[in-house]
Parts: sequence; C-alpha cells; structure tokens
Amino acid sequence: MELIFRVNGRSERLELQGHETLLDVLRNDLCLTGTKDGCREGECGACTVLVNGRAVDSCIYAAMAAYDADIETVEGLAKNAGLNSLQNAFAESGGVQCGFCTPGFLMMLTALLDKYPHPDRDLVRDALSGNICRCTGYAQIEEAVARHVEQRSGE
Amino acid sequence: MSVLGESLVRTDAAGKLTGEARYTVDYDARDLLHGALLRSPVPAGRIKAIDTAAAESLPGVRCVVTARDVPDTLAGWVLRETPLFAGKQVRFEGEPLAGVAADTPEQAKAAIAAIKLDIAETEAVGDMKAALTENAPLVHPEWKSYQPTSGEDYPRYGNIASELVADNDDVDVAFQNADLIVEDEFTSNRQYQAYIEPKSAVGIYRDGRYTIHTGHQYPFNIRDRVAQYLAVRPSQVRVIGHSIGGGFGAKLDTGLEPYAAIMSKLAGGRPVKLVNNRTEDMLTCPSRENATMKIRSALDKQGNLLGRELICHMDNGAYSGEMAFMPSVIFHLAGSVYKVGNIRVIARLVYTNTAPTGAMRGVCGVYFSAFQERHMDHIADELGVDRREYRLNNLVKSGDSLLNGQVLDDADLLRKGFEKMEEAAPWKQQDKNKKNWHGIGIAAGTWITNSMPGSVQLKLNEDGSITVVTAATDNGSGAVSMGITQIVAEHFGLTADDIVVTMPDTDVAGYDGGSQGSRTTHIVGRAAGIAADELKGMIFDVAAGMLEAGKDDLEMVDGQVGVVGDPTSRMPLGDIATAATWSRGPLSASGSYTTEPVPFNPGCASGMLFPYFPTPTYHVHFAEVEVNPVTGNVRVVRYIVVQEVGRVINPAGVRGQIQGAVVQGIGHALYESLRIRGARYLERSLEAYRLPLAVDMPEVEIITMEHPHSLGPFGAKGVGEPAIILAPAVIACAVSDALGKPFNRIPVSPEEVLEAIVEKEKQG
Amino acid sequence: MSQMPKQFISVSSQEEALAQLDAHGEELQILAGGTDLMVQLQQSGQRAQRLLHIENIPGLRNITCNGVTGIGALCTHRQIAESTSLDNYRSLRQAAAQVGGWQTQMVGTIGGNVVNASPAADTLPPLLIHNARVTLVSQSGGSRAVELGRFLLGRRQTDRRHDELVSGITLARRPERGRDCYIKVGRRSATEVAIVGLAACVTPGRDGRTLEDVRLAICSVCPMPKRLYEVEHLMQGEEISEALLEEAGEIMLKHIDPIDDVRASKRYRSMVAPRVLKHAIACCIENVSGDLRPWN
Ligand code: FES
Ligand code: FES
Repeated sequence: MELIFRVNGRSERLELQGHETLLDVLRNDLCLTGTKDGCREGECGACTVLVNGRAVDSCIYAAMAAYDADIETVEGLAKNAGLNSLQNAFAESGGVQCGFCTPGFLMMLTALLDKYPHPDRDLVRDALSGNICRCTGYAQIEEAVARHVEQRSGE
Repeated sequence: MSVLGESLVRTDAAGKLTGEARYTVDYDARDLLHGALLRSPVPAGRIKAIDTAAAESLPGVRCVVTARDVPDTLAGWVLRETPLFAGKQVRFEGEPLAGVAADTPEQAKAAIAAIKLDIAETEAVGDMKAALTENAPLVHPEWKSYQPTSGEDYPRYGNIASELVADNDDVDVAFQNADLIVEDEFTSNRQYQAYIEPKSAVGIYRDGRYTIHTGHQYPFNIRDRVAQYLAVRPSQVRVIGHSIGGGFGAKLDTGLEPYAAIMSKLAGGRPVKLVNNRTEDMLTCPSRENATMKIRSALDKQGNLLGRELICHMDNGAYSGEMAFMPSVIFHLAGSVYKVGNIRVIARLVYTNTAPTGAMRGVCGVYFSAFQERHMDHIADELGVDRREYRLNNLVKSGDSLLNGQVLDDADLLRKGFEKMEEAAPWKQQDKNKKNWHGIGIAAGTWITNSMPGSVQLKLNEDGSITVVTAATDNGSGAVSMGITQIVAEHFGLTADDIVVTMPDTDVAGYDGGSQGSRTTHIVGRAAGIAADELKGMIFDVAAGMLEAGKDDLEMVDGQVGVVGDPTSRMPLGDIATAATWSRGPLSASGSYTTEPVPFNPGCASGMLFPYFPTPTYHVHFAEVEVNPVTGNVRVVRYIVVQEVGRVINPAGVRGQIQGAVVQGIGHALYESLRIRGARYLERSLEAYRLPLAVDMPEVEIITMEHPHSLGPFGAKGVGEPAIILAPAVIACAVSDALGKPFNRIPVSPEEVLEAIVEKEKQG
Repeated sequence: MSQMPKQFISVSSQEEALAQLDAHGEELQILAGGTDLMVQLQQSGQRAQRLLHIENIPGLRNITCNGVTGIGALCTHRQIAESTSLDNYRSLRQAAAQVGGWQTQMVGTIGGNVVNASPAADTLPPLLIHNARVTLVSQSGGSRAVELGRFLLGRRQTDRRHDELVSGITLARRPERGRDCYIKVGRRSATEVAIVGLAACVTPGRDGRTLEDVRLAICSVCPMPKRLYEVEHLMQGEEISEALLEEAGEIMLKHIDPIDDVRASKRYRSMVAPRVLKHAIACCIENVSGDLRPWN
C-alpha cells in the first residue's frame, strides 16, 4: 500500500504492508531515529510525534492512518538558527539527562504550547501525564517550560 | 574565570534535544541482521530437547544458536556460575535458550516461534522462604563445583549464594541485661530500574575479534564478561559506548551483548542487533532485590542501645552477578548512622528460581534505611521520646568507627545535616501544625563514593582545545558531560566548549570502573586532575622555550600561558601545541586514580567481600505526606534533602541528580513493585508497573552542604546515587505517623493504608 | 494468483464506511483513534487484521446541544474534557480527562470507548448515568438508537452488528438541579486503568435533606460498566444519613463482582468502592468535582 504524507515539511511516499506503526515507519523507513521506542504500549510517551498538530503515541498509531497528514518529529524542531526556544530552555534548565524521553516531552509540550501558550504548572503537569521521565524527577522539565514561556513573552 | 559551581549546559544536550544523539537501538548498517532470543517460558525445568531444524530453514534466517554452539563454560562477575544459554536446566522465566539472527526482525521472531522446545517443568524455588526450607530443591545442585572469578572462595552453600556473619558474644549479654527489647520484621519488594531505553546491543565479529556497540554503564565489565562467555582473551573484545538511555545499575553487567557477539560470528561476521521489548526487559532486568530483615534492639532504661541483632535475607534470583558483594554492604550500613552497641549481623543472599537481581541505585541502602529508620521510630515510640531527638542522641560522631573498624572522619556532618534541616523545617513546629491525615518523617544516612579505578588521557590539540580520552560513561547523570568536562576546563582556564570528551572505547581508553556508586566525577575527575598537572608541566616546558623565560615564572590564565605579571607575554595554548607537535612531538598526558584502601579490621566478619565504605557522604531527609482517607493513596506534599556533596561542580546537575533520585525513591515507596507469584513476575508491562508521573511528584527542596574532600577533584565527592536511599524511609515513617500504625513493608500499598484507616474509623 | 487482502482501508465518508462494513463487516476491525485496538494488536503480535480506518469521516466530530446533547462518535476524549458545551455533564468531562495520558486523549474517541466495552472504560459510567443512547447506522438497516445499558452485553461485547457503525451518542437532559461527578481510583492520579470508577448524579430535594433523584454507575468491578439501580432505588427519596450511605455501600457490594488483578486486589476494590460511593454522593451534594487528582 502506498503512504503519502509530509514529515517535517517534506513530502514522503512509501510502500507499506498496511499494519506498520507510525513509529516503525519513522524510525526504520525514514531513518528518523530521534523518535524513541520505550514501551510500544502507549505508556511512556517517548514515541510522541505530532499528527496534524495533535500529539500521538506513534507506537500505537497506524502509519496508514497518517495518510496525507502533516507529521512533525523532534528532528523538525531546530531551525537553521539552532535549537528553538523550548529546546534551549530544556538545555538551560537541565531538563535533559539521559535524553531518551526528551523527544517525546518536546513534542507533547509543542502541542500543548500551541494551544495554551501560557500554561500554568498544573496544566503542564497534567499534559505530561502520558510522558515518563525516569531520570530528572520532572522538576527541571517543568522549569524548562516556565523558562520558555517567560522568554517568549519577553520577546 | 572559573567554570566551577556554574550550571553550564551539558555537552550532549543539543544532540539529545534534536534527535541526533545515537543510542544503541539507533545503530544501523547496510548488512545489519536482527536478532531475537527464545526465552524460557517456565521458571524451572529440565531441557529435554531444543529442535531448531524448522527455524533454520525459514527465509532470511542467518544463524540459530543454542548452548550446543557456544563454548562450554560458565561466566560471572564474582562467581562463574552462569551459562550463556541454558543447556540442561532452566533456572528462571526468561532465561535465554536459543537465539536467531535474520534479515528482518519479523523473520527473527518467526524463527524463534518455529523452535520446538521440550522442557520438563520442575518444582520452582519461588521465594526465599521456599529456598530456605529444609530439603528445598537446590537452584544450583552443582554449586560446589563453581569457581570464584578471582581470589578466594567465600561462604556459600546450598541455596545461599553468599553469606556474611559478624558475631560477638556480648550481644547475647546485652539482650540478657536489657531493660527493653524492641523487635521488628520488615520486607521490601523488587524495584525495576525502568530506564526508558530497553536494553539493546550490537555485536560484530571481524578479523577474529568481537566489537560490541552498547550504551552501557561499565564497558570494561562487558569486555571481561563477554570474554568469559566466549572463552577469548579480554583484549579480543572491543566495547564501544553509545548514549545511554538510563541505567540506574541495570546496565553494569552484560545483558544482550554476548548474544549479539556470538550470533555475529555464526552469521559470518555481519553485525547483529538485539533489542529487548519492554516485557523481556522487565523479565530479565537485574532489579533491586526483594529483602526481609529482622531487627532486635536491646536498650537500657535511658534508651541507650546496648546491642542489636540484625538478620537480613536478600533475594538473589537465579544467578548472582555482582550480588555476592552485597551482604557486606548491609554490614557496613548497620553501623554507619547510629551507634548500635554490640551487634550481630547475619546477611544472606538467597538463590531462587526468579530473575537474577542486581545493584539498583542505592543498592541495599534503600530498604536498609527504610527498615532501620522505621525501627528507630519504633524505639522512640516505645521510650516515649521524640523521634528526631532520639536519632540525634544516637548519631555516630567524627572519629567513630564502622563495624569493620573503618574510622569515619567527618561523621559530625550528620548532626550538621539535622541542624540544616531544622532551619528549613523546624521539627516540633512541623509536627504541631500538621493537618489531619498528614504525617512527617525524618531520616539520616551515610553513603559511599565507589572507589573503582578510573583513568584519563588528555591531549592538547593544535587548535588549543583538549581532548579527554576516557572510558568513563555518562549514563545521563552529567558526570562526564558536566563533571569531567568542567573539571578539565577549570584546570586549564578553558571553557567547556574547548573540551572534547570521547565516547568510551575499550580499545582506546584505559580501564574505568563504570558509572556506579557516584564514582565518576570523584574518581575520574581526580584522574583528570593528575593528567592535567602533568600536561601543564609539558605545556610550561614548551612555553618556557618559546617565551625565553624560566618555567617557574609562567602562569596559565584563561587558556593562555604567559610570564607572571606580564599580560602582553601571553600565548594561546593552540600556538604552544602547534610548536610542540613540530618540535618535540604532540603533547598528551594521562592520569589514573583509585581510592586508597582504608584501614579496617578484616577479622570482624566472615564473608566480607566488600571490605570498606570509601569516601562517605552524609544525608538527612524530611518528608510530609498526606493520606487520602477515601482511597488510602499517599501523596508526598513536602520533601527536603540535606546532602553533603564535597563540592558542587554544576548546581543544575546536582539538583537533577537529587530530584531524580528522590522521585525514584518515592516511586518505590508508593507504587513500584515487581511482585512474584509462582516464581513469575506479576508486573510485565509499564501499564502494570507504575512509574511516578509529574502530576504526583513534589519539587524537592535541596540544601547542599559543601565539605571539600582533600583528594576529590576540587573537593568533589559522589552525588548521583544517594538521594534515593532515604526516600522510602521517610515516607514509611511519615505514613506511620499519619495513621499511628507501623508500616513495615515497602512499597506502602494503598491496600495496607486503607486497612489502617478502616481500623482507625472502627475505633472511632 | 489470489489478491492480497488490502489490510488497511481508509474511508472518508460515512457511506463508504457503511458499504465496506456491509460487504466485509465480519473481517474488518474498525480503527478510529486506535489507542485501544493498536495496543491489543501490538501485544497479541497478530497482524493479519484488516483495518477499517474511519477517523477521517467528516461530521462525526461534533458536539451538539440543540435540545438533546449529541456527541459524534469521533469526538476525542480531550475534546470532551475541554468542551464547555458539556458543562452540564461534568462527570463525563472529568472521566474523559482521565482516560490515559493526553496522547491517548487527543486521538482516542468516545465511540471507540463505547464499542470496545472495556470493563474499565472511564467514560461509560458517566454516559450510563446520563441515560446515553448509542446511534448505530448501517447500509441495510438505516439507523437505530439503543440505550447504552442495553448496548453493552458483556466484557468487551456489544450489540453492534458487523455491518453497523456507531455514529454518535445522545445524552438525556440532566435533571434540573442534578449535580454529577466521576470519581476514579488509581495508584497514580493520572494515566491509570481505573481500579474503581464511579459516576454519580444526585438531585438534592428542595428540603435540603432528602435525595430526590440518584443515579449511579460503576466500572472496573464487574465484567462491564453498569448502573447500580438497586442502590439508586434504596436512596431515592430518602433522607441522607450515615446509615443510608452504609446500607447503600452494602447493597452495592452485592451487585458488583470485583476481582483480583495486577492493579488491585478484590479485597481492596471491595473496601474502596463503598467509600467512593459515599465520597461521590457528598461531592454531588456539595456540588464539587471531588476529583482525586491533586489540582482539582
Ligand atoms: S513507546 Fe510509545 S508510548 Fe512508549
Ligand atoms: S532524561 Fe532519562 S528518561 Fe528523561
């Protein structure tokens, strides 16, 4: 079966069997290995990507369901100028340790911030209920969001 | 300009934030094969036949391997007892029986499914109680034939994998003379490290050598273990490190590495990648061991401790790995915080037909502290004295010794920790003001900085930067990407941008003891300092010639060398490096370090495989919890850590380690538990195994005490590990306080809490 | 050579979907958000399923409130959680906000929840207390509406015929002075499969002492979510008292069938369920959400 979609703004055309997950297609067919596989059961959020702006667990999302959709992955965040503001805030706040959860957090937060540009801490925590970080204990991730919001409103 | 004490961004942050960072699971090659393992479906059994014929003829299959195809040998960290594949006997559910490498993961899985397995299931030794009953089946009937990996054999017998005994006749006298005896029995369950990256490995066999790619905490241990399993010299194995998606002690010994290596050999040298799925990972991960402990304390009228007896059983699972060391840790911990009088310690590591356990962060200390602190609360309650006061009265002091005779030079830091805590949260006031359904707890601990050796080579590059060649690994802690980087930068007055640290490669870098026990910053940082001093000497030699000045008249400022007091004379390091390269040869220096052995009394216990407690740090934690009266769920509303750290190299890094460790500890205290029924885990997915989420976790208030260590790099000691050890302790104490009933099991379950609530309601 | 079955069929109109279901309904698994189905497929390792992807059918994503409240089958949990037009159905919004993490809520649909009929489906107790009706459409039979309580037949079993598509759900008008809530018990306060989930809608009597109307439904303690009619009858018109609540709890226990599983023991479920009932009634009377999540 043919899958045509856009990933980080580029059109892609792939031949699939039909049962593949979006996670496998991104990682194996498109070599976009930034999206991580932590559980394949929709529990950890490491595989989070945006499908038409919605954050989904790509490990339990059928690739074919993304036909004609716009996909954004962690590889699409940094622009030519370097890390985007959220990524920078993560770096500066110490929101990254082993980094395996990080792409998923960034994508979930990108979706959240798109809809709620000034989330309070409770909303951030609630929105992160589908993302597990085993290293940081979350505080510096939450701080990164606050830092990003602050810097953006300062602009 | 100093970079010490600055929250510099970790050097690997950008790669991890853009998806560029390469973890083992991201490894790819045009000729890559995908491996899969057939794992035992039963916890114990005799293998009658493994028929691989059908699997071998399936499309895409490049090799099938079983015990028949690998060297007939046993391997192990401390004891050579573990086969690569079970050949005759299966000892735990999930134990590898066969492997397949194929062109695609689907083909590999299909081939695994096609292997015909004939196992006669036998009675499994499901738990420690079963293992210790008379006439219990032996997990290793052939235990006598096993040889230690190095050194002398140690106390072990039957289903006891390792035993420490420290005894003293005065203990019985103490109990005879006691005015009060307080007795408790505690249990704790297994905790799964639950790093977000399941284990994976790539093996390549080429030119008669094995190359292994793995994101691993301890590459040299992989080298040595793979060499054991495959019966080659360690130098025939090369281990190349990758970014590590979390480890917490589970990635210290081999997981998939030797399987990937042997399959590559059998498949004609094509690289073979093995990746655990989450269930496989849970079933086979060296999780924190479950344990039980009986503590009995003899006290006089004033509450002074006359003596104590402590019997601890730790579940080893089927193979012992590094666990054989651990009974000693219980022994050291037993005298590390409070004065205990005459003591008897019996610590046993018990074989069962369950997955082998391992050293998760805060090994032994997490449950030991929970048990000890609950016991302290119990004694204080019996005596009718304040819990904090009672602890203060019994703290070890500077100059006191551990049970092995090792002198604690700085133990007064414990008292100082209590004082700092008092400033942040005055105990009496907290107690008085706490709301209904709230409880508070306080606990103290002493923890080690692991002493294993490390080494560093520093190369001055012609562009003025410095390359740090080391096999030290950054498991995410920042020990390399912040710690070592900043330490090296500081020595030369450079910025972190001028420092390049290599990924581990056992062919290139010197031996390193791995990221364990908070050792990397302390040990490797110190090794880097030694190398830096030597390299600086070389730089000054060359610069002296170039500046026509005496070596002693030179200084190094902000990455430049010049004559003292003459800023115009300064020369960039790059110029010096270039000059050196073309005159006397490129400049490089190396340094090695390990903690000097601490004097101790070897006769104080039998079975003490881990003889002393190096470079201790001191800790006091406080927690306030709220119990939900409807459900029995517990929520941590306030958490404070006072931690002695030697010296803070990177404040954001230290904070991340403490916050992360406490959250893992809260996870274990309240949710995380691998339960065993019929020798099998109940929890087999992340849906069943509950990890802490952002919504439930408090922001930890952190107070660091700096007490620079004379041999640490700029005074730094270990930081990463210990903040976990007191979390279950303070939480169990706080829940007990909230409900006025002892909670002596970790995790504290809502079921147990709700029972207590119901009981309380009945009593009105 | 036989034609490979097309394993993934994506439709972009209801008519197309119905035609597919009419022709191949028995072999087709319907995929909306897929948050439940895809996990099942991954875990079972099966993959020969033929999937009918309906997520792109327009018109099934609306929440309408002209007279009756209608929720399109493809409305997502997050959409429901955030929908102020569902203010009268607080329990449903609460439940939707607690289905898995946000990733699940952003794609998981209410129709999927209803058709999957999981014993632990959070949204079903609120739908049950609001007398939800499920609308099913098919090519041959047109459209029919079934009470949700009758639509659910057992553990993961429903009254849907293979050729039918659930197109939406309608809710009865909430009693004028009724207040509702959904109380979910889990180890963590988010991303849990409910240990017990209970929805209540209580209309306090004008006298301030009696219970004019009580509706209760529960999940995770029986093969499928269900109304607790017996408890409702007991409480209807009665004066609220500790004794009444005690008795209600006891009757409830007679009509549920909690089991031991990896999330909780039968014992815990039996202990906690009556307490949740009390808590829910109290919250309705005080008109607070009663949410056990910390920030609510
Ligand atoms: S990998 Fe998708 S949620 Fe864990
Ligand atoms: S940084 Fe390691 S899991 Fe989040």
